[in-house]
Amino acid sequence: MTSTERQNAGLKGRVSARSQPMFHRVLAARPGTVRDTLIEIRKRFCSEVSDDTLGRLELVLAEVMNNVAEHAATQLGAPDRSQIPSIHLSIVLHESGLACAITDDGVALPANCVLPRGLPIIDTEDLPEGGFGWYLIQDLTQALCYYREGNRNFLAFSVPFLHRATNP
Amino acid sequence: MQLTVTDTGPTLVIAVGEARIDAAIATRFKDHLREVVVHHRKPVVMQMGAVDFMDSSGLGAMIALRKALSEDLPLTLEGLTPNVERVFRLTRMDTVFDIRPEAENEE
Repeated sequence: MTSTERQNAGLKGRVSARSQPMFHRVLAARPGTVRDTLIEIRKRFCSEVSDDTLGRLELVLAEVMNNVAEHAATQLGAPDRSQIPSIHLSIVLHESGLACAITDDGVALPANCVLPRGLPIIDTEDLPEGGFGWYLIQDLTQALCYYREGNRNFLAFSVPFLHRATNP
Repeated sequence: MQLTVTDTGPTLVIAVGEARIDAAIATRFKDHLREVVVHHRKPVVMQMGAVDFMDSSGLGAMIALRKALSEDLPLTLEGLTPNVERVFRLTRMDTVFDIRPEAENEE
């Protein structure tokens, strides 16, 4: 047994766990803070994960966290006063992808966000400028689930290493 | 905002120097460029090679620009990086824009 193995050994004298990069952050739901956090996530996982997977992870997390920043602020009495939600984010590298858990203390997520959906209708006369975010989240994730407990939203999903488009 | 606008005569060339077109800048990006393209009223070529991330708010800004140009004027996007190309492709908006590889240097 090498000295490194001894240091990593668990109670039964076996090597206890492989070291894998993880990411955890508590952040204010502001676009600039979301951007800085995404850049840190890229740095954390770039040596372990392909550019393609990292790009999909970054896009999904941007969509989820920017939705919180844009829609989830709670009103505090006066109409011009609102509370910026606090986001808790965890990402763990697994054998088949990146498992993500995101919670926030903003207003409840409307149920239709997590229901299967298609693209907004593309009317070439009047192109849609929004409505793509949840479509992208659903397309790029697996095992997407949502739970509301007390004053927090809980969202969990996995970004697989291999992406198979739902609409090839 | 990192944007270089050059009027070459027949076209308006906009080199985007921002590394990210995301929710933090999408509104300013859209408002500024909409004014520029409406003012010039000519075909637009956007050089996108320096942009390595775009989210759906950035896509919305690009669509707003397309809508600000009259339909007979092309809006060409050059040099999309993989992360940016993915957003256009997954949302089928690659059918709405004229997307081309980075132009060769012409003598």
